[in-house]
Amino acid sequence: MTEDLGNEQAVVRLTAVRKEYGESVALDGVSLEIHAGEAVAVMGPSGSGKSTLLSMVAGLDRPTSGAVVVHGDDLGSLNEKGLALFRRRRIGMIFQFFNLLDDLSALDNVALAAQLTGTSAAHARKRALELFEELGIGDRRNTYPAQLSGGERQRVAVARALMNRPAILLADEPTGALDTRAGEQVMDLLLDLNQIGQTLLLVTHDQQLATRCASRVIDFVDGQIAGERSLERTS
Amino acid sequence: MSAVWPVSRAAVRRRRVQTVVIGVVVLLSTTMIVVALGLLAASSGPFDQAYARQSGAHLVASYDPSKVSDSQLTKSASAAKAYSGPFAMATLGQGLNGNFGAPESLVTVGRADPGGPVDRLNVWKGRWAAKAGEIVLNRNPTASEGFGAPTLGSTMRLAGQTLTIVGFAYSVSQSADAWVAPAQMTSLKPTATQMLYRFAQAATNEQVSAGQTAVTSGLPSGALVGTQSYLGLRALATGEPNTFVPFLMVFGWLGLAVAVLIVANVVSGAVVSGFKHIGVLKSLGFTPTQVMAVYLTMISIPAIVGCAGGTVLGNVLAESLLTRAFENYGAEGVTVPIWVDVVVVLGVPVLVALSALLPSLRARSLSAAEAISAGSAPRAGRGLRVQRWLSGTRLPRSVSLGLGLPFARPARTALTLAAVVLGVTSVTLAVGLGKSLTTYQTAASRVDAVDVSLFAPPDNGGPAPNDPQAPPAPKLSDAADEALIRSTPGAVSVTASTDLPMRLAGTSTDLRVSFYRGDFEQLGYRILDGRWFDGPGQVVVSERFLRQRGLAVGDTITLQSEGKTVRAQIVGKAMYNSGDEVLSNWQTLALVAPSLRASLYEINVKPGTDLDAFVQAVQKGDSGLMRTDGQDAGTFVAIVLATVVLLTLMLGTVAALGVFNTVILNTRERRRDLGMLKSIGMTPAQVTVMVVTSMAALGALGGVLGIPLGIIAHRLVVPAMANGAQVAIPAFMLDVYPWSLLTLLILAGILIAAAGAYFPARSAAHTTIAKVLHNE
Repeated sequence: MTEDLGNEQAVVRLTAVRKEYGESVALDGVSLEIHAGEAVAVMGPSGSGKSTLLSMVAGLDRPTSGAVVVHGDDLGSLNEKGLALFRRRRIGMIFQFFNLLDDLSALDNVALAAQLTGTSAAHARKRALELFEELGIGDRRNTYPAQLSGGERQRVAVARALMNRPAILLADEPTGALDTRAGEQVMDLLLDLNQIGQTLLLVTHDQQLATRCASRVIDFVDGQIAGERSLERTS
Repeated sequence: MSAVWPVSRAAVRRRRVQTVVIGVVVLLSTTMIVVALGLLAASSGPFDQAYARQSGAHLVASYDPSKVSDSQLTKSASAAKAYSGPFAMATLGQGLNGNFGAPESLVTVGRADPGGPVDRLNVWKGRWAAKAGEIVLNRNPTASEGFGAPTLGSTMRLAGQTLTIVGFAYSVSQSADAWVAPAQMTSLKPTATQMLYRFAQAATNEQVSAGQTAVTSGLPSGALVGTQSYLGLRALATGEPNTFVPFLMVFGWLGLAVAVLIVANVVSGAVVSGFKHIGVLKSLGFTPTQVMAVYLTMISIPAIVGCAGGTVLGNVLAESLLTRAFENYGAEGVTVPIWVDVVVVLGVPVLVALSALLPSLRARSLSAAEAISAGSAPRAGRGLRVQRWLSGTRLPRSVSLGLGLPFARPARTALTLAAVVLGVTSVTLAVGLGKSLTTYQTAASRVDAVDVSLFAPPDNGGPAPNDPQAPPAPKLSDAADEALIRSTPGAVSVTASTDLPMRLAGTSTDLRVSFYRGDFEQLGYRILDGRWFDGPGQVVVSERFLRQRGLAVGDTITLQSEGKTVRAQIVGKAMYNSGDEVLSNWQTLALVAPSLRASLYEINVKPGTDLDAFVQAVQKGDSGLMRTDGQDAGTFVAIVLATVVLLTLMLGTVAALGVFNTVILNTRERRRDLGMLKSIGMTPAQVTVMVVTSMAALGALGGVLGIPLGIIAHRLVVPAMANGAQVAIPAFMLDVYPWSLLTLLILAGILIAAAGAYFPARSAAHTTIAKVLHNE
């Protein structure tokens, strides 16, 4: 079920989500809401369940129990294909190691996301080019991933994530593999995106990133929400 | 090196799928190599092997007992390397009780046992004749028994005595038609004495002649009345096995090539995907040599297990095939030569190790840091122009991405493509070979050429008509029977025929001459040269008949039977297998045996006619006419086809496993890419389509490249087989690849590739990708 959501409604709603991997419990009864336009950072030590939370929201994995509703879609009711279509329409993801296809040019990497929805190659490339210009990497469109700097690769990954105008942008340690300068550029980019209304969910170890980009920080320990705080952005 | 073994064992356990793939591919490849080499080795001398197994006679000699004594023969035989005899022998006329189809006269020999130093007979059914009143017949175990052939336990009359058939034996030396106990032989009044010799040197006619001179030099003049050299039998006997050699050689080499490609692909891929593992070992303090030892051991474990299993399986299969293929020599359990096993057991693991060595050396030269980071750092893309072009096409993105995947790993793609090409070549050759053989055999044996055959048993002076075991006999005359059949509703064409044993003047070869009247042009024979007979003194023969006697269409031959002689011109060459069968007409029969009646009526009926009702209607008029089976395609083609199908399935499976391995390697290497694609909305079906497309494209290309190779192989193999079999090959035997079939064969390549790719593609499509994406 999909519904049009205003800014006051929850884009993401987790209810008593539990995820077990064999004997170990990655998420233990997590409930939370993220509203449209929010920028939420999830922080915590390694193994605390941050990335598992992100996988649940992205529909990359299924909870052992509990419910995950994103933009009105109850992910528990979707089959594999339904989850793929959900990710296509609702989710944009960026990763610590960018995950670009080495054999495709930067432009084709970004256009790919739209082409999967059936958009023609010409239209997809046109839209990708617009994003390249907006993100300041227009001159790098025909370059291949191996020839890009880390910061440029992450910008290409952000462009790909935005290609289908997602309801929420999920970022998993987006500055973790970048040097300080490139990391700051990516932080600025995410902040800009949030300021124009893009909902953000960040998973990070980086206190500076959280402080700078997020309006709310959720602390995870041992698969549970240990605390939650609202922040005044520093920028 | 103590650390090497546990690490290698752990690596084998951790990489189960690849270990199994290596093991299975090596097993199948080894099986194929053993079968191919075994058959090739055996095909080079099956007759010699069988002859050696039976210790066959290089010379079978008949002596006049009135001119030479047994002791003289025994004494002179010491010049031979080995001998058996003397055996009393007689050529006897016979009558069978309740049986038909045996020769009219039997060369009968008295032997106490089937063994001995020379001509050790293979008693393949029943037992040896132990006492008077018993007889053992010489029959090829694979020979079609045919209607009315003698059976175990039945009796036959020989020189006025009734003998019970207690066994069937086979002599590769063709030393006799039948054997009895020596005591029985005395009462059969022997007319000759048989000696069987083996010489130290008997490879040429000159050597056999020299041996003959040596064993007869001290004997009285005129004592030797006849001889039979094994070289003559060899020339006749090797005709059929020689048919196997060409296609076995081609399949053998194809098998070897595919096996090498697959092993190289599997091992190279395994080493490449194991770089990280090697890096970790180095960082732990393993020396480069230890790392290499770990890797070679890891690969060698499944390779050795697969090789051992494949050798055993190959021996079992090859022995089965060899026994089936060459049992017409009466030889049991023809085995794979030991050198084949030795070569394979040593060679295949060495080949695998060599395939692993080069990529291992590559990994050895990497620093630990480089090896550990291999695969996680971005690499320069490959086939970029193609990828860019595919990105801009209108194809669904999953398809265009799949089409681009082979360009990312060109070396691996080339090896996989080569395996698919050889797989398609095999399938193309096999399909063509199967079609050619089936077409030939159907045409040559006239399978389904006639709808009904009715047999009119000849009156052979058997038991009284009231004997319940007495065979039926026709009630009407020949002409009346033909008229009856022609007038039966549904009959379209009727051909009457009878056979007469005859001899070609100037030779010792017995011929079977079939005389036809009526609608013989409807019998299904194809005339390859010349025409059908249209008057007396004309015959039509086979290519084999002409080749074996150095004759040509237009030549005249002289046929003899029961003291009568007829000269006949060869007016045509028809397509059939036998070199001892001649076709002629009723007008020619009238010149030698005018009183003979037809023994067979071959009938074609209108479409839709109930054959059972037709036969019943004829039998109402003459209950002595018996329905008999038509021609069948024979066992030889079935053996060849079974061999072809088996080898093709194995080659196809190995080629598909090559693709399977490539897809596993590709999807493992690209698990991060696949995870990313799923994260941006690629559905499992799209992932499957992408991966299968990547291999199907190779399959299609493999089809396009493999089909011409298969057709070329077919064009080489079929004439070579025909030459070996001494048969003519009309063009229709080679034109067996219509466009519709070629299209299907391209699909064979796609099918091999898709079959190999589908399951790993499905597995990749349903892999949980969360960990892959987050843990890098």
